[in-house]
Amino acid sequence: MAEVRIEHVFKRFGAVTAVDDFNLVVKDGEFVSILGPSGCGKTTTLRMIAGFERATEGTISIGEHVVSSSEAGTFVPPEDRDIGMVFQSYAVWPHMTVAENVGYPLKIKKVPKEERERRVQAMLDLVHLGEYGKRYPNQLSGGQQQRVSLARALVAEPGLLLLDEPLSNLDAKLRESMRFEILEIQKKTGITVVYVTHDQSEAMAMSDRVVVMSMGVVQQIGAPHEIYTSPANKMVADFIGLINFLDGEVKGDRIFLVGNDSHSWANKNGLEGEVTVAVRPESITMSADGGEFRGVVTHRFYLGDSVDFRVDVNGHIVRVIKKGSDIEAFPDGSTVYLDFDQVMFFKRN
Amino acid sequence: MRSRINSKTIVISVSVLLLLYFVVFPMIILLYDSIMLDGHVNFQNYANVYSQDVNWKALTNTVQLSLVVMIVSVIITFPLAWLVGRTDLPGKKGFRTLLVSSYMIPPYVGAIAWVQLLNPSVGYINSILRWLFGLETAPFDIYTFWGLAWVLTLFYSPFAFITISRAMEKMDPTLEEAARVAGASPLRTVLDVTLPLMAPSILAGGLLVFIAAGSCFGIPSIVGMPGNVEVMTTRIVTYIYMGDDAGVRDSTALAASLMFIANALLFGMTWMMGRKDYTTISGKSTRPNIVELGKWKIPAVLGVSLYGAIAVVIPLGSIVMTSFIKSMSKDIGFDNFSFEPWIPVVTSAQYMESVWNSVVYGVVAATIGTALALFVAYLAVKTNIKGRSLPDLLTVIGGSTPSIVIALALIITFSGNFGLNLYSTMWIIIVSYLVKYLTMSVRTIAAALSQVHISLEEAAQNAGANWLRVCKDIIIPLIAPSVVAGWFLIFMPSFYELTMSLLLYGSDSKTIGVLLYELQTYADTQNASVLSVIILAIVLIGNLILNKVSKGNVGI
Repeated sequence: MAEVRIEHVFKRFGAVTAVDDFNLVVKDGEFVSILGPSGCGKTTTLRMIAGFERATEGTISIGEHVVSSSEAGTFVPPEDRDIGMVFQSYAVWPHMTVAENVGYPLKIKKVPKEERERRVQAMLDLVHLGEYGKRYPNQLSGGQQQRVSLARALVAEPGLLLLDEPLSNLDAKLRESMRFEILEIQKKTGITVVYVTHDQSEAMAMSDRVVVMSMGVVQQIGAPHEIYTSPANKMVADFIGLINFLDGEVKGDRIFLVGNDSHSWANKNGLEGEVTVAVRPESITMSADGGEFRGVVTHRFYLGDSVDFRVDVNGHIVRVIKKGSDIEAFPDGSTVYLDFDQVMFFKRN
Repeated sequence: MRSRINSKTIVISVSVLLLLYFVVFPMIILLYDSIMLDGHVNFQNYANVYSQDVNWKALTNTVQLSLVVMIVSVIITFPLAWLVGRTDLPGKKGFRTLLVSSYMIPPYVGAIAWVQLLNPSVGYINSILRWLFGLETAPFDIYTFWGLAWVLTLFYSPFAFITISRAMEKMDPTLEEAARVAGASPLRTVLDVTLPLMAPSILAGGLLVFIAAGSCFGIPSIVGMPGNVEVMTTRIVTYIYMGDDAGVRDSTALAASLMFIANALLFGMTWMMGRKDYTTISGKSTRPNIVELGKWKIPAVLGVSLYGAIAVVIPLGSIVMTSFIKSMSKDIGFDNFSFEPWIPVVTSAQYMESVWNSVVYGVVAATIGTALALFVAYLAVKTNIKGRSLPDLLTVIGGSTPSIVIALALIITFSGNFGLNLYSTMWIIIVSYLVKYLTMSVRTIAAALSQVHISLEEAAQNAGANWLRVCKDIIIPLIAPSVVAGWFLIFMPSFYELTMSLLLYGSDSKTIGVLLYELQTYADTQNASVLSVIILAIVLIGNLILNKVSKGNVGI
């Protein structure tokens, strides 16, 4: 198993900087997700680790080996990096059977036939495809093909597993169960995983740590709960979960909502002038009899397990999510009181 | 609602009937004539022709030549397509254009060029080599089996190049990347993944070359016949030129054999391509994995350049140069170049009439053809009428039938025996162009139509437009670039067509291809070169327009 070190890595395509000073150490056996919107540089980063892109600057090491270093001019091709990789498009070879697909890395390594067959079968059993060895990929469903791809990536027992949006071609239910399967397999094998996704719930649910990227720059690295409860900046707060951004201002040493004096917060971070007050819809308590802010319900959306409200507080439209399915407790036009919990403040730009 | 169904049904049935009458009917008559005599089944003509050594030899020559051309084309083309498509070869775009450009040169112009370069008496390359090495005799003779194979390969390998490089572009690059992370070297990846996945396309490209080489008349007639290297097409023409009923009947036997071989191969190919399902789910479009050539960069550039020079630059250069030589008997030098040779050609009323004829026939064929292609494509792509792809299939059959077979079938059918007599008129030539080239236009327009979502039409119908109105206001404006492209895809090959024109022209309907062929046969190299340059110029302009309207997606 291997530790991955990425130090001061840049990737430039002409004038465009796709990855800007990326630094990360993935510990041995750790599951790290790189999360960000499309075009943020997450896939480019993964492809540099795999060796499909050459870093313009910086050093990448896998285990003991420096696999890419711009200063030393080192560049180890993908086939010599001892990694397994799962692609979004599965990349299962259509001209080979399932067993041939999974056995290919062992065939390249010249593993004897009997041992190869035994290991392929063990791997297929692990991904619940024990009976499918003789089939061709076009006889399998998308989820099954993705399991073939996973088995092929793991069969040679590489030190590092890279996954590039492996679940985004699957339907919602299958995605949930595959999350669980991937985690189970990671636990069993103890392999180091770098997982690229644009789906924040996937990243949150699966990872030990999450790297949030935007426009080529790492915004924050942390455990899922850290990223959720104390986002480093507005971008991270916005990207992870739902959040209200309300216009606020600093008056003296307190922060107020613009045009509202009913409640204020201590300015702990020493912000100045215009600020953004951020609060998650589920961190707001709504009641009919008194609280920090007074507002009027303008819209309600029934979501089954909860109700999604829009409340007008002096012109600030606040989204409030209230658990339970009692939609009639606060009808449209009724006056309500809101209490904000876990409020965050950012500089407004 | 009623009027919409009616206008649609009428327009579509008329196109189907036209296609049946002009494509299917003549071929049935040809087949019928080849096996029936005075109302009885009679294979005497087959026995006649194949008992003669010259015809049997023509058949074996055709098969051997086509095989050689096919194999060599694929062997040359695969690395070229890979270098241009998947590596960091400098100047890839220019090389790609260069490599497909011999596709737009009329084959017989290429043949004329290679005769100028490699004929044993005064070929430019032969003369240079003799002077360089003080040789007694010319080192190369173009008028041989291998000379013919050489020219056919250079002119038909773009068929393979286009098919193979398209397949390479379409292949999901992560399939190769998966092999790399599995531990395979770049070469091993090509052998284990790229080649097997592309095998059907490679075979398809090869078969296209095989069929094209076997059906070609222009190149064998100019390069093969002087050295008595006969192939099926040249034999068919010889029989037709005999002019009597027996000659025509013998030619039908040869033509039917050729048609059978070509169509059998095509259907075999389609069946094979459809059999293996290699479609895979493709995710986001990753940039194709570009292989870095490193130290092989310079050799690769040199290799591709050399091929480009041999296939395109040298033959075209030879033709252009010859067209400006004042006196063919003098040495080549700057004082021997001028516009003088051009004057008699461009001022000759007889020559210019042929140029004009070709332009007119091309325009008429392209215009009728585009209208037909629109209906055929619409029917195949946009409706769910039973048998909707039948007309499309008919145009494909027309396009895959060797030109010489089409010409013969039209002669037999439209000489008045079955009502319509078009013989020696411009219309029989135009019909032949339509039969042969309609399919290219249909393909282009169908591809564009399939991009127009049905909801756009339905929205117009909701707004109250009938079907013809929907076509005029919604569909045609949206697919306009492809319609223009489809027009040129009929116009250009029609403009420089040789084989069918040669068999179908009358005293008033001589085309530029026929004129050029005559000049070459009378050994008037000079005028032939001038006319070739005129053809090339017009084809080049047509291609530039085509490239512009289709944004580089379609070209000949």
